[in-house]
Amino acid sequence: MTQYAIVTDLDRCVGCLACSVACKVVNGVPTGSFWNKTLRIGPNPKEGGSGQWPDVELYFLNVGCQHCAEPECVKVCPTEASHIAADGTVQIDKSKCIGCQFCAMACPYGVRYLNEDEGVVEKCTLCEQKIAQGELPQCVSQCCGMARWFGDAEGDVREFRGPRGETAGEFLEEFSDEQVHKLPDVGNKPSFAYILRDMKWQGGE
Amino acid sequence: MELQWPLILFTTLVAWSAGLFGTQALLAAGGHAKRSQLPAWVASAALLAVGGVAVFFHLEHWERIFNGFGHLSSGITQELVAIVVLAVVAIAYLAAMRRSDDGATAPKWLCWAAVAACAVLVAAMAHSYTMAARPAWDSALWILYVLGNACVLGPCTMALVMAVRGDDLAPAGLPALVGAALAAVTAIAFAAFLQASGGSFAEVGYYFDPTHPTAGMADAASAVAAQAPLLWIGAVAVGGILPLAAALMGRRSGNWKLWGAAAIACALAGAVCLRVVFYELGLSVFMFY
Repeated sequence: MTQYAIVTDLDRCVGCLACSVACKVVNGVPTGSFWNKTLRIGPNPKEGGSGQWPDVELYFLNVGCQHCAEPECVKVCPTEASHIAADGTVQIDKSKCIGCQFCAMACPYGVRYLNEDEGVVEKCTLCEQKIAQGELPQCVSQCCGMARWFGDAEGDVREFRGPRGETAGEFLEEFSDEQVHKLPDVGNKPSFAYILRDMKWQGGE
Repeated sequence: MELQWPLILFTTLVAWSAGLFGTQALLAAGGHAKRSQLPAWVASAALLAVGGVAVFFHLEHWERIFNGFGHLSSGITQELVAIVVLAVVAIAYLAAMRRSDDGATAPKWLCWAAVAACAVLVAAMAHSYTMAARPAWDSALWILYVLGNACVLGPCTMALVMAVRGDDLAPAGLPALVGAALAAVTAIAFAAFLQASGGSFAEVGYYFDPTHPTAGMADAASAVAAQAPLLWIGAVAVGGILPLAAALMGRRSGNWKLWGAAAIACALAGAVCLRVVFYELGLSVFMFY
């Protein structure tokens, strides 16, 4: 079983938004909507610090569809328009979508939206048109901080590939399994992961 | 999330319709409300039909509804199955009534089947909204609350119909009073749950969304606080307490034309208020996107 996903090294992300912009260009995402967003988390006080600068920390967090292993959006879809593809990604068959938006309600991360022109729900496809041909998702290949890595979450994140051909294990600074985080899991088992070494991961897991 | 008016109307009208049909079947099981059976059946069917039309306005592509429709883990599919079951029971109930000697009697087993089908439909409809992704929605108290809607709207409407049709009103009083009491209790319980839901969301401390620099930052606690007046005055006081008082007055005075109508109006207003709060507080557990 394959479970394609992206791991992001938050210690490398500079918050340039290149991933968000590249995604919109390649996938034709409507104005005002996003398939991924880069949030600035912080500045929050460091634990044990004075509570004032410089005892603060900040990181950028790219959020999009987490292509969950047990996606609630798929369970609630009445027509199976939302489905798990053979590569483990969550996809939407627009021709089946009735636009009921229950999938958008069932997503813990709020990353789905209604495309009002087409009357169907959309979200990140993990650039299925590219990964099916062995290419990287655009947000990975466009990441100028070399923060985003693509691969099979069934395996080791250190084997994920970057835009220059290296693997995450070869290129990134060392990290432990405890430094690999996920967005809050309410039973959906998100497959995307985030590496954060020396700062406090915010938001729970 | 944004207010979904078609769904607000649908859930309210289905609760009303199921409550009314369930009440008429309950009274029929005891051999009561003969003159009101047919008008109540028609009113219940009309409410269900209007609710059904309302929900279609929520769908962007209703013409695709049978394009693979039937994924059983979907709450919408479960609702549709429950509606079909209720429709079958309702048609059988109507046929049995029309074929009876007095034109208003159905077999007891069918009456109880109707009550059960009504309860299942309301519970299935409410259950489709209980999602772990939306902490304010994810509670059995919501299901009980919608059942409470049916328990107050159905018996009070039946009492009003019986008053208009000239049936003996004595059997209508207890269901209306008990239903209104259940509705009040469930409204208070679910309102308390909603009020407490502010602490159920992921917190990331200070954050900023560069793609929406002018939008306010998500704050569950202030969102909950902002809805408190509508929740406690609209949904609980108007939607829960006043119908109970009206049912009490109706049972005491026997003037169900006045107090039945008053209870229905207050319960409807409260049901809509609570659903507005429901959507306003229907934030994702990770609400920063």
